[in-house]
Amino acid sequence: MAGYLVQRTVFGLLTLLVITAVVYGLARNMPGTPLTSQLGESDPSRKQNPADLERMKKAYGLDKPWPEGYRLWLGNVIRGDLGRSISRKQPVVTLIGERIGPTLLVSGTAFTLVWFLAVPLGLYAAARSGSPDERLTSLLLYVLYSFPTFVAALFLQITFAVWLKGTPWELPLFGMTDLPTDAPWASRVLDIARHAILPVVCQTYVALAYDSRFIKATMEEAIRQDYVRTARAKGAGPWRVLVLHAFRNTLIPLVTLLGLSLPGLIGGSVIIEQVFSWPGMGRLFFESIRERDYPTIMGLTLTFSLATLLGQFLADILYCMVDPRVSVES
Amino acid sequence: MTPAAANAPSQARSPGLASVARQRSVGFWAEAWRRFSCRPLAMSALVLVTFLFAVAVFAPAIAGTKPVVCRYKGRLYAPCLAYFDRRLEPAIFTHDRFRGAYPRNLQEKDPASWAVWPLLFQDPYRAVRENEWPGQPANPTRGEGSPNRWNLFGTDQYGVDVLAKMIHGTTTALLVGLVSMGIAGSIGIIVGALGGYFGGWVDMLASRVTEVVMCIPTLVLILALMAIVEKPTIWKTMAILGITGWTGIARLTRAEFLRLRNSEFVLAARATGAGPLRIMIRHILPNALAPVLVPISFGIASAILTESSLSFLGFGTPPPSASWGAVLNDARSNLHSWWLVVFPGMAIFLTVLAYNLVGEGLQAATDPRLREARK
Repeated sequence: MAGYLVQRTVFGLLTLLVITAVVYGLARNMPGTPLTSQLGESDPSRKQNPADLERMKKAYGLDKPWPEGYRLWLGNVIRGDLGRSISRKQPVVTLIGERIGPTLLVSGTAFTLVWFLAVPLGLYAAARSGSPDERLTSLLLYVLYSFPTFVAALFLQITFAVWLKGTPWELPLFGMTDLPTDAPWASRVLDIARHAILPVVCQTYVALAYDSRFIKATMEEAIRQDYVRTARAKGAGPWRVLVLHAFRNTLIPLVTLLGLSLPGLIGGSVIIEQVFSWPGMGRLFFESIRERDYPTIMGLTLTFSLATLLGQFLADILYCMVDPRVSVES
Repeated sequence: MTPAAANAPSQARSPGLASVARQRSVGFWAEAWRRFSCRPLAMSALVLVTFLFAVAVFAPAIAGTKPVVCRYKGRLYAPCLAYFDRRLEPAIFTHDRFRGAYPRNLQEKDPASWAVWPLLFQDPYRAVRENEWPGQPANPTRGEGSPNRWNLFGTDQYGVDVLAKMIHGTTTALLVGLVSMGIAGSIGIIVGALGGYFGGWVDMLASRVTEVVMCIPTLVLILALMAIVEKPTIWKTMAILGITGWTGIARLTRAEFLRLRNSEFVLAARATGAGPLRIMIRHILPNALAPVLVPISFGIASAILTESSLSFLGFGTPPPSASWGAVLNDARSNLHSWWLVVFPGMAIFLTVLAYNLVGEGLQAATDPRLREARK
């Protein structure tokens, strides 16, 4: 076990090293720098003079070639310092701390909804496999799975923010809250919840379609097994067979799916957050690429990759827990 | 893809063993096609994809303001080809100062000329002016262009016809799917085949590289690569989607090659003196192709989706090219113009759905495990 953990950690760290180096190299080679991209593009007359620019470059350590810059960044990260955002003049850790809450609010709610709905849906589809109502449900889920999120987001915006404007069903177009920070907390919570509905719906439906199809597929494989036939033969009821005998054995692939959804939980969705102007992690990444804000790009890349690696690791550990036949040693 | 793939095994010309293999292989694809054609959903998806290809190829003949074929001053020209590449516009029209207004100029400058016009006199890049086509009004602008007799899918803020944009955007969408998956498929098959066939340190290296690429969140990598490109063109987008989308294909190919490399027909080929390259391409690949085609089909769907989301985020191809996602991006600031959302949105959705259904049909038709499960 210890050997496995060490091997896993070493490989994980190496992967992180490669990923961050690649992304750092890419970021530093993007046309424009964080110092010029904001002012120069919007208003040519406000371009800084070259001497100022050189001084600022020096202050941010941008005068060195990128491998040198990467070494410095890596050294700071090892000492626990993710640096300061250039365009927002705040520590990257603070920025991530501000943004992770809104992202978790949407992705966490969506995640919970997905699992509460996908498991019954998948079980139902497996139980009634082949019947007309199951085929209709499965077809609808498949159609939903192919429906692009940003198209759905625009459809929802048109429906709830344009067509239903002025009715009680109206929902806000974007943002997280319209109220000032000193408003009473009850109305603020309500306001944020109203703003979160559409992003949550968008993030839920794709995952729901995918996961319930996945559960159905694994269930269909499970109910063909001999132990299910045995359970039926000894007289167990249909639901008992389905839930206690078949479903328990589909937990193994499900656990992998659970682990793989961790990065999405923390990283949010760039597209959904961008469409709804939701102040989360995905939007921060998109903005920081636009602003060429290297420290933020790197901090977020590190967070996302760490979440991906942790998710895979978690999936493997859970895998051993639900399936005693598997051990990490092999 | 099926006919091309079916030809692949028949190219093995060595006598004896190969001819046996050929018969069996052709039988496999014929069988797969029979199973595929039994599935009404997969077949209708295939019909839709074929239709989209026809639209993509004939786009300039369906919607445009340049004649498909015309006779001018005694010679035949095809000015509509300029929609594929601006350099294909015949020089004589520039010389005679047509300035894109063909109907009037053809009449005035050569009364004896004739022309075959596109079905729809609308341009994907500019608004049609009043009486540019006899009796056709100017395109409405600024959110007043809801669908009408002349603009079936409406017009955008600048008066450009949405249907014309979508017809020409079909070319972009299908090209993106095919080219980027062509690149991804080549990289994936090469990496997977090398790793799976040779094993040892080659496999170690190939697998580690694949795993590292898989660990980078795809959109992070794509956005970073898109930002590094100085002037994004549709070809650069395709290349980027290709070099980020090969990992799944590589893993599957590796598994197939691992499974097949010790089989008897490979041993037989080796005994006849075939080199590793020949064995990999002529003997193993045709047998490993079916499972690899499935993720490629799903990959085409996701490449089309990614390209349109990039255009939608404003990170894709610059304005003069027609992309479905770009129309949707315009719609974001004009939500009252519902036609800017509904038509291109449904086009993206149906295309993605069609490719997914084709992929699933292919999977059901070629995967023996699923076939047994059906019984």
